[in-house]
Amino acid sequence: MSVLSEYSPKRYLKVSLFLTVMAIAVYFAMKACRVDLASMFESLFTNGDVYLRFIDLDWSTLWHMVKAAAVTVLLAALATPLAACLSIIVAIAGARNISKPWFRLPARISLGLERALPDTVVLFVFIAAFGLGVFPAVFALALGSLGMLGKLWADGIEEVDDKSLEAIRANGGSLWQSIRYGIIPQVMPAIISNSIFRFEVNVRAATVLGGLAGVGIGYELSRAYSLLEYGRMGMAILVIVVVVHLCERFSGFARGKLLISGGLE
Amino acid sequence: MSDIVYPPSIPTDAYRKPSDKFRTRSGFFLGFTIILVLVGAVLGFNPFMLIYEFHNVQDLADRALPPNFELLATQRSAYASLAETVSMAFLGTLFGGAFALVLAFLAAKNTTPSKALSSVIKNLFALERALPSFAVMLMFQIAVGVGPFSATIALTIGSIGMFGKLFSEAIESVDPKPIDAIATVGATRSQTVRYGVIPAVLPSIVSNWFYAFDVNVRSAIALGAYGGGGIGFQLVLAQKTLRHDDLLAWVFFILILIASLERVSDFLRSRIIKKGALK
Repeated sequence: MSVLSEYSPKRYLKVSLFLTVMAIAVYFAMKACRVDLASMFESLFTNGDVYLRFIDLDWSTLWHMVKAAAVTVLLAALATPLAACLSIIVAIAGARNISKPWFRLPARISLGLERALPDTVVLFVFIAAFGLGVFPAVFALALGSLGMLGKLWADGIEEVDDKSLEAIRANGGSLWQSIRYGIIPQVMPAIISNSIFRFEVNVRAATVLGGLAGVGIGYELSRAYSLLEYGRMGMAILVIVVVVHLCERFSGFARGKLLISGGLE
Repeated sequence: MSDIVYPPSIPTDAYRKPSDKFRTRSGFFLGFTIILVLVGAVLGFNPFMLIYEFHNVQDLADRALPPNFELLATQRSAYASLAETVSMAFLGTLFGGAFALVLAFLAAKNTTPSKALSSVIKNLFALERALPSFAVMLMFQIAVGVGPFSATIALTIGSIGMFGKLFSEAIESVDPKPIDAIATVGATRSQTVRYGVIPAVLPSIVSNWFYAFDVNVRSAIALGAYGGGGIGFQLVLAQKTLRHDDLLAWVFFILILIASLERVSDFLRSRIIKKGALK
């Protein structure tokens, strides 16, 4: 009789209630977003030939775009180690087994706050203080990674085997020695692997944030859009896709290599 | 009284000479640091600007404090922007996730109807993940104009790439034994998927869906800054009109919004997964 219970009214009631709530939510969300599929398809059909201009790439700007993309990648390359160095300090302060409670709480709260703040918001605060440019972009990226990396590592440090720490303390090791010889060797592989992954994430984020801060390929793209130079825009998008994909491949390759060769023990 | 036993003598220069491992490693770190410093010099990035131009932060504090919390009462568009950002993320996650789910079943190795289709879809996912969503949004703004609709489309398309991969990996890692068992008793292809694959992947799909919502709220703010409307646009507006007290108030609102959305999604997720409401 499992078939009968499968179609029980109670079950249907739940499902239909869920679907109704979702439908109402979708209706109001569509209203708030002014979703108008009919006009979208109409304009796609009548003016769709605009998109052909994207394919007509402006190859004369290739070198310019590649240089801008290099700036974007370098932003991420600067921000990631900066965040890694800062977050290891915060993580040590925020780990239960080596830090004091009154030290741990503020470190954990600031990490949580940083994770909750989207990096766009951090960027705008930095722009408000320091103006447009490389500086706010790098710091927004670094602070964005800091929350995530710091939490991962603080948790990683808390999971470290207590016995090795105790052994070092019992042999008369100081706090710093127990960090250096008890904790760092155990968490280092995860730290480096996560940082490389974070680099990949940061390249994507640097495209977006750079566009708002006025540096790199993201800015080139939004400028080409403002100038309505579609060929230029297409070129920028092509370069972004290639560069982001290459960074993804690099990050996967480097992480695989580090894990396999075990060069971090 | 016995003689004192000393440990075997260690050649004294063993302490002085750094080991090969230490030397290669410190050489690597030194090289890495030098490269970073050079990169910073090329880009004109100076981290110490934070210290010696700290007066900028003080100036900002003068202008931004106290935050203008009254803008919720005075600006009628404030609530609308909050609603726009949340709605964009909600719709993008819902529709993007739904499309991604269908495509993931077509792309996963164990449920795909044909290998060629699977590789085509997987490559599309990879392409989409490499395409930043603000580029998609700018392209759609040509068709639908500036506003939250374009951001919704961009978030939908972005979610397809991001979560198509996650979903198809979840489907591929399903235990094949129950599926074999279902197929053995004569189930059709769709029945195998319905009773063998879906119950196994549903928890991970649901939790990914909620995770996607969290991610999409953040990217909705970034997209808004490029002309997608919502909170992101309010940030740009506050920054361009130098209303830094508004900016700071928005920062607080965003913090509260994200923290409370996280609470709600945690609550719903644990309810749905633990109570098995979807089984």
